[in-house]
Order: sequence, then C-alpha cells, then structure tokens
Amino acid sequence: MSKASVIEVAGLTKEFGRTVALHDVALGVQPGEIVVLLGLSGSGKSTLLRQLVGLETTTSGSVRVLGEEVPSLGGRRLRALRSRIGFVFQQFELVGSLTVLENVLTGALAGLRGPRLGLWAYPRRLKLVALGHLDRVGLLDRAYQRADTLSGGQQQRVAIARALMQNPEILLADEPVASLDPESSDQVMNLIREIAMEAGLTVVCSLHQVDLALSWADRIVGLRHGEVVLDTSVEGLSKAQVMEVYGRVATSTSELEAITVELAESTQHRTVVG
Amino acid sequence: MSTITAPAPPPLAPSPGPSIAERAPKRVISPERVAAASTLLVIVGLAVVAVAESGISLPGMIESWSHAERFFARVGSITFPEPAELLYLTALTVGLVLCGTLLAAVISVPVAYIAASNTTPGPAWRAAGRFITVITRAVPDVVLAMVFVLMFSIGSLPGILAIGIHSIGMISKLFADAIEQIDEGPRMAIRAAGGSKFQQFTSGILPQVLPSWVATVLHRNDINLRGSVVLGYVGVAGLGLEMSYAFKSLNYSLGLGIALVIFALCVAMEIVSSVVRRAMLGIQPSGRGLGDRVVRGVTDARAARSSRRTDAARSGAPTSGPGLASTAASGDLEAALRRPWTGSRVRNTVWGWTAVAVVVGSVLICDIHWGDLVTFWAKVPAIAAQFWPPSFGNYEASTLVAAMGATIGIALAATLLSFAFSVLIGSLAARNVAPNGAVRSSMRLVLVIIRGVPEIILAIVLIVITGLGSQAGTIALAFGGIGLLGKLIADSFEEVASGPERALRAAGATRGQVYASATLPQGRRALLGHSFYLLDSNIRCATILGIVGGGGVGYYLLNAGQGSNYAVVTTIVLMILATVLIVEGLAVWMRRVFR
Ligand SMILES: Nc1ncnc2c1ncn2[C@@H]1O[C@H](COP(=O)(O)OP(=O)(O)O)[C@@H](O)[C@H]1O
Ligand SMILES: [Mg+2]
Repeated sequence: MSKASVIEVAGLTKEFGRTVALHDVALGVQPGEIVVLLGLSGSGKSTLLRQLVGLETTTSGSVRVLGEEVPSLGGRRLRALRSRIGFVFQQFELVGSLTVLENVLTGALAGLRGPRLGLWAYPRRLKLVALGHLDRVGLLDRAYQRADTLSGGQQQRVAIARALMQNPEILLADEPVASLDPESSDQVMNLIREIAMEAGLTVVCSLHQVDLALSWADRIVGLRHGEVVLDTSVEGLSKAQVMEVYGRVATSTSELEAITVELAESTQHRTVVG
Repeated sequence: MSTITAPAPPPLAPSPGPSIAERAPKRVISPERVAAASTLLVIVGLAVVAVAESGISLPGMIESWSHAERFFARVGSITFPEPAELLYLTALTVGLVLCGTLLAAVISVPVAYIAASNTTPGPAWRAAGRFITVITRAVPDVVLAMVFVLMFSIGSLPGILAIGIHSIGMISKLFADAIEQIDEGPRMAIRAAGGSKFQQFTSGILPQVLPSWVATVLHRNDINLRGSVVLGYVGVAGLGLEMSYAFKSLNYSLGLGIALVIFALCVAMEIVSSVVRRAMLGIQPSGRGLGDRVVRGVTDARAARSSRRTDAARSGAPTSGPGLASTAASGDLEAALRRPWTGSRVRNTVWGWTAVAVVVGSVLICDIHWGDLVTFWAKVPAIAAQFWPPSFGNYEASTLVAAMGATIGIALAATLLSFAFSVLIGSLAARNVAPNGAVRSSMRLVLVIIRGVPEIILAIVLIVITGLGSQAGTIALAFGGIGLLGKLIADSFEEVASGPERALRAAGATRGQVYASATLPQGRRALLGHSFYLLDSNIRCATILGIVGGGGVGYYLLNAGQGSNYAVVTTIVLMILATVLIVEGLAVWMRRVFR
C-alpha cells in the first residue's frame, strides 16, 4: 500500500507453550515514522519488539525488517541486521560495574572483531564518537563514572547513547520510561524524539499511557491480548476515542476497568521511581 | 504478677461417630524418605563407632599433654633456618602457590563457560565441564604432585601443576554458579545490538562476575597455601619440603620453627587477600574471617576520617540540571579522551601493576623450566604404563581396604565431633539464638580464631608432639571443622525467617523452646548440607593426614609413591575417588529428599 516499508510484519503469531502472546499481527512502518505500541501489560508489546530483532523464535508469520526476513536469519547475518537497529530497554540493561563510556562503546561491538575488555581495547576513533553521543545526551561529564552510580534517567540516556553508537536506522524502545520519575521520563521521551528527527530514524516505542502516546507519537498501534485493535495516526485523535476503541473490544467489565485505570493513568501517576 | 487465670477451653464441637484419632488422615512417609533417613542413621551410627574406636578421651588428652611437656623439655628451644634461606623459602612457597592458583584461575574461565547453564554451547559441553570440575576436585593435589614429580623430576613445575589442576574444580564450580546468577539484561542488550556470543560474554557477563571470580581465586589461594605444606612431603620445593626433611632427620626444633613460619604465613596471606579484595573490588570485606576483620578494623577508622572530605566535595558539585542540548566542540571531545586521574583510577592502576609485579615475581622465583613442558610429553606413555593397570602390589587387598576404612573412620569421627561442638558454638554465635550480644561476639571470635589455624599444620605439630598418629589427626580435623561448620551454622541460623520465632515468643515460649521449634527446624536443611560438606572435605583431608603420619590410607599412598609402586597409587586414588563421589552423591540425594 506504500513505498518501501522498513518494517513489514504479516500474520505474525508467537506462542509460549499454551500462551498466545501475539496472534496474526500485521504491521507496516514507513521510514521516519514515529510509532507507539500501546497496550496493557501482557498485551504483547515486548514480544512484538523482540520479534523485530530476532531475540526470540517466531511461531509463524513473516517479519521483514530493512528488507530482511528476520526469522530466516541466523549467525553473522542476523547480527549484521541487529547492528542496524538500536534497542532501548525498560531496565536500561547497562553493565553497572563498567564506566559509562565503555557501556556506550559496547554498542559498537557488532562492527568490531572479537571480544573487548576495558577502554583501551577500543579504537580511539570510536571513543571520540562515543564521547560525542554522550555529549548529545548531556552526560559527557559522566564518561568515566561507573554506570551504576547514575540515576535512572541518566542511565536510560546512556542506553540511548549506546544505541546511537550502532548508527541505527531503526530505534526500538520497550517502555523506556516505565521505571522513571515524571521529570526524567519527559527528558528521555523528548530526547528520543529529537534524536529521531535529527537522524531521520524510524522509531517504534511501546508505552502503556494513552496521554503520553497521544502527545508524543505520530501514529498509535493498539495491542490487546496479542492482537492489533487500533492502528491510526494521532492527528485529531482524542483520548476519549482511544478509550472507546478499548472499551468496545473489552470482553468484561473488569477488563474495561483495568483498561480505564491503566491506560488513563495521568502523568503524575506513572511514577515508579527506580 | 497478675492472677488472671484462663478458663478451661470449652470443647469445640461434640464429635459423633468415630473418634478424632480414627478420622484423622494417616501420616504418609515416602519410601525414599525412609531410605534416606535410614542411610543417615547408619552414617551417624558409624561415626559414633568411629569416635569410640578412635580412643579419644579426656584422660588420654591430659596424658598426652604431659607427653608434650616432656617432648618440649627434650627438644629445647625452637630454631629457624638462616634468614636469607628463610626468605627465599618463603618467597618460593608463596610464588609457587600463586602460580598454581593463577593457572587454575585462567583455566577455570573456559571450564566455567561451558559448565554454566546459560553460557554452555550444548548439553554435551556442559557435561564435559561438570566432569572436569568434579574430577579435578576429587583427585588430591598430593597425588597429582607425586605424578608430576615423576615427570618433571625436579623444579617447581610439579607443585604448580598439582595446585593448578586440583584448584580448577572449585574455582570453576563457583565461577559457573556466579555466571548462572547474573542479570541477563546487559547481555541481552549486547545481543540486540548485534554482538557475537563471545562479545556478549566478555562485555555483558564477565564484568558482572569479575568480583566473584577474584574473591574465589583469592580464597582458593589461601587454601592452597595451607595445603602446600603437604606437597613438601612428596618432594615439592619450599617450606614444606624443608619441614619434612627436618622432621625426618629428627631435628624437631627446626621442624617446629618452620611450622610456626608457615602458620604465620597463612595468617599474613589471609590479611593480604582481604586487603586485595577490598582494594580491587572497592567493597568493604563482608566476611568474618581473620583477615577481613583486621582490614575492616583499619579501614573503618580511615573511612570515618575521609567521609567528611567527600561529603564536602559532593555538596559543592552541581547535583542535577543536565543541559541536554549541549554540544561540545571536537576539541573538547579530544580533551575528554584523556581519562582523569581520579582517586579510584590511581588506586586501580597501582593495584593492577602491583598484581602484575607479584605475578612476574612469582614466575621468576619459581624458576620454571619451560622446556620441560615440551619435553615431558615424551615421558607420558612410559609413566602412564607404570600407573596402569591398577594393582594391590605386595599388599593384601584387605589391608588397603581396611586402611581406606580407617581414613573414612577418621573423617566420620572428626565430622561428628565438629558437629557436636559446632551446633553449640554456632548456635550461640547466631544473633537470633544468643542470649546477648556479648555471648554472640565472643563465640564469633572463637570461630574466627579456630578458622585461622591451618589444620594440617596443627595435625603435624600434634602428631609430632604427642606421638599419636590417627588420634592427633582426628583431633586436628575436628578442631578445624568447628571453625568452618560453626560459622556456616551461625550464618544459616541467622538467615531463617524470623516470623515463626516471633510467633512462638509471642505465644510465651521460652528461649529454648523457640530455638527447638522455630530456629532449628528451619535451619535443618542447611545443617544437613553443611555437615555433608564438612564430611566431604574431611575425607579429602584425612587422606592427606596419612601422608604426614596421621594414619589411614595416606600412609600407604606415600609408601607406594616412594617405593615406585605406581600401580598401587592408582588403586588407592581410585578408592579415594570412589569414596568422595559416593559421599557427594549421598549429599545431593539427602539435600533433595529432606527439602
Ligand atoms: N519468555 C516467555 N515465556 C512465557 N511466556 C511469555 C514470555 N514472554 C512473554 N510471555 C507472555 O506473553 C504475553 C505477552 O507478554 P509481553 O510481550 O511481555 O507483554 P507486554 O510487554 O505488553 O507487557 C504475556 O502473557 C506473557 O506472560
Ligand atoms: Mg513489556
């Protein structure tokens, strides 16, 4: 239906034993689009994002990313594809005992041969690039500090710098601010958006707050029980309309309540200070 | 005292028909539990017999004390080797042990990698890794040293290889455990960014487990230093060899002098490794060993002084307000390439180079004949032929089996004696059992002091002084065991859930009742596990005791080795191996059944 999509998912189903995490999911993302995956916890957001970089096997369906059929890839070719996609995690996933700079440098491992232990093991050229990214996220002065001495928001910014180190074409973010306080959370979301605009990145970010999704994304894809129930541009979309979609598909009053409570959480309620 | 008395509780509900006893479900006990309980009973029974057989008694000990007095009167004063020689021997012993431990430390990385469930390339690899850890741990380093002395004739390589290979088991087992407990997140992040398996390991896992690896290696180094004495008895150069010569030539005053030096060396090494642990890992030593205590005492005082300074520094620094849009000129980035020499970087660098210097020094002092590593392969077939097939040689099979039995008896008796004292001391050293802080602290101190004594040295000294073989060995093992088991018991009692204890106390139970009904039942599994661990370690130790004159199969092992009856050595090693594996299997089974 359009020009070359960077992400083209069709008929994707993923089962964990008897749990169906994703069912017949279709999703196309154009270059430069900023998409939010919206859904309650357990709706399959993380699973879908993992499928895009082949972190888990696929039960059935097709996952094309940057022109490659992900489930059919392995070894070197899968790693090459992954190196073109940045991934930001809810829990940051930095190595706490390493310096901030070395953590950023690990983003460049795919382009290097063999293992690296210690800052001296990375070429000077890459160190300069890494310092530049650290400067971009506002943490140049923390370069030589241990990563676990930073606050949650700072750690997530380091994780973003690490993803930038890959020089990615796509940035995937799995609830990047779910563990942050509102202030750092705004900082991080703004940073992702700014960087995406600067570099023309395609972004797929999962969230569970409607307010945040509406104010941040270009397009919202709603998941529920592993199925896509909403896929629309945010242009002219109101919170009431989103809630209405979820209300229509809710199968019980208790689910409706859960949806109302979780998705409608206002900004001050999404604080989980980490 | 108030005089309120509770009224007798009314009968809850009149129960018509069959009585409660008839209606209550019968207690079901699985046959496996019965079997395990019976086995445990048999083991305890054997241990009781072993204690009775060992002839250890209070009057006997008092008598041997008078023995000791006469002995000292005869020996006169303790003497030491010449200062220069003493220095060289000390350096050689330490260097050899360090080289051996380091060898094991390096080899244990790939072994742990294939043995850990989350890094192993496949089940077959994992089984191979497990096999290496079990087998290297089961073969005593003394036996390895005997074999290597044959292959390398002279020099330090036999000792280094023996220590190195034997230590692989423990280090890689603990290292693999640490790998299995890592946070998988950072590794997944590197995988998602396209890192290879090897890169995931070095950048995502290794930094997480490095502290535990260093701690394990240092701990093993302490153990190896203690054990190095015995290697001297089979011809490995160092203080141990000099000591064995001295005792063989009946120069008791020199032998005891060297024993004293080794003792001091062990304590010093413990303190050093505690300092290193702290410096390299940047963590306060949390252990309760002698070394950790000393280090903590010193650093606490220093920390109190410096904390004021850092507080002031921190309050001066800007706390937040990151300017996200800041863009440094490329010159600034160049400047940022130079890592500032902060206190911690200076410290790390100094320690790093010190470590390198120590390693290089160790290698130099050991004067390793590297060429031997190449040439010895040629000798392997001939030597292997001497060791295989196993045979009983000139001995009756029953003699060797009886000797093995005696060794197991020593281990069992020592374990039972340790157990009795450890439960008492260990319980009183637990915060939630001790009647007051003073009792707890003093019991903890007792345990620390006991653990500071290397039991092999103690055994050697006791054997020499009292002239009693297996009795002295048993006492030494039992004594050392109290330090280990008592600490483990105290720690696991402190870890039990405090809820049940509070509940019983609230219901008016006495201190003893709380201990018996809440603390002990919760700590039972740990108690069983730790006791089997001690038995396991005692069996290995009891073998070695024989070599220094403590009776049992070790005596025949030494004889067979010195008489070049290598087929007999193989037989004895196989017997030891079988025993150790059986005990390990039993321990695993018991832990599973009594969950
Ligand atoms: N590794 C796994 N093993 C088994 N079940 C899983 C696994 N990962 C996810 N699931 C299940 O798949 C469903 C979707 O999970 P997830 O993608 O994590 O949801 P979300 O990220 O939206 O909270 C849930 O029911 C979850 O329990
Ligand atoms: Mg999730």
